Amino acid sequence: MLEGIISLIIVIFISPLFAGMINKYKAIFTGRIGAPVFQPYYELIRLIKKETINASSSSFVSKIAPIIIFLSMIFVSSIIPVGFLKPLISFNGDIILFAYILGLARFLQILSAMDIGSSFEGMGAAREATFALFAEPIFFFSIGSIAFISGHTSMYEIFNSILLNNIGYEIFIIVCSISVFILAITECSRMPVDDPNTHLELTMIHEVMILDNSGFDLFLYQFSSYIKLTIYALIEISFFYPFGKQNHFLGILIFIVGFLTLSITLALVETITSRYKMKLIPQYLLFATSIGILNLLIYTFMK
Amino acid sequence: MENFFSILFSLSLFYVAITFRVKAYVSVLRFQGILLALLLILPFIFKFSIYAIILPLTIVLIKVILIPNYINKIILDLDIKRKIDPTIQQLTFLIIVIASVIIIFLLTSIISNNIELNVIPFASGFSAIVVGIYLIIFRKKLIIHVCGFLILENGIFLISTAIASELPMMIELGILLDVFVVVFLMGIALNRISDTFEGFEVSHLRRLKD
Repeated sequence: MLEGIISLIIVIFISPLFAGMINKYKAIFTGRIGAPVFQPYYELIRLIKKETINASSSSFVSKIAPIIIFLSMIFVSSIIPVGFLKPLISFNGDIILFAYILGLARFLQILSAMDIGSSFEGMGAAREATFALFAEPIFFFSIGSIAFISGHTSMYEIFNSILLNNIGYEIFIIVCSISVFILAITECSRMPVDDPNTHLELTMIHEVMILDNSGFDLFLYQFSSYIKLTIYALIEISFFYPFGKQNHFLGILIFIVGFLTLSITLALVETITSRYKMKLIPQYLLFATSIGILNLLIYTFMK
Repeated sequence: MENFFSILFSLSLFYVAITFRVKAYVSVLRFQGILLALLLILPFIFKFSIYAIILPLTIVLIKVILIPNYINKIILDLDIKRKIDPTIQQLTFLIIVIASVIIIFLLTSIISNNIELNVIPFASGFSAIVVGIYLIIFRKKLIIHVCGFLILENGIFLISTAIASELPMMIELGILLDVFVVVFLMGIALNRISDTFEGFEVSHLRRLKD
């Protein structure tokens, strides 16, 4: 119980730092000094002080959506294991709950974007729905095959039961980390799929959906997107936990090194790639899905 | 460990199926060459002998250095545009590739019931052959046809390592020489075609008459 609360607090408080680190590295790679690492915290504090104004055409959906999205992010982050701490919620089959709570958050996000009645936000909502459709199989193929290997269906059990003498596991790490990385990029609207810094409505996906929100609502939206990014980063890091099972100190080391490496990798990818054309994105996601299918094939025939 | 390299090999096939650039094909060829060389070195890692090192070195020389550099030279000389021209949509092509890979894996597992073979290297090699043929069918640019042929060749190589870990070395060297000569001849043919026609696409060749 205590372990679960500690891990939840770690996830919530470290998530703006992760986004700040990515922005800092991105600035360094492009030759700028960049904002301080703690800039996302300052922005969140600034937003929480401001007054909330809703569009006059909006209904109650816009009022409840940010809170439900934020709460579902907190709920999801209490499923994910941090290091070897047992998460707050852990039962057989929680990977499916994990996927569908994220789906609920996405549904409310789309609904609240449609609710405001701006045509730009409707466009963003349509895009989000389309790409989410392609992104869902990636998660189930890659996490599903990991679940098959370990023989468990709970997030904590999966990564705590895999033995390293399992001959195929090194392959799975490589293949799964590629597909989960692409999934994280899509779900968190990072560079090759969506540019988080652009402010041109025609090219945005996630940012356009929160265009008309302000104050406390915007704070909740921003904070939940930071938490979402951290959740996917934690899934990516979890693949490496079985290497440090003998020794808890090694587990913490893996966590820190993975966190740093992942932020540098994300920043590097965002620096060297440009945003894809909208019609190419399904192709990109199908590529990740095919990697996931390959994963399942390997599991089936590696005996 | 063999499985590991074979899976990376299959990943490169998926990459080939969605990429839009001619240069990417050349780098995939280089990558596959490195993988094949590593696969051949692997069995001899603890019992070093001079004969074990000859074939991997030749592969590195021909498949990683000579052929890709030669293709790059052709691309530069003939001023080939960097985008490939697919005849069908890339998305459809990727779906076809995924379906074929699944079928091939299933087939291989059926075959492996009766014959002793490594399933994953065999299936990856088999998929490389099929993807190579698809590249030749579904692309317009002639230089991509050369790349497709080379991917097919890599697949045959991978299959041969999956069936028997040590083929007679002279045969392998002979195959490598053949491949190199074929690529060389294709380069010369492409040069000739470029003298006669404007582009480098199959559609121009369709109008050839006696």
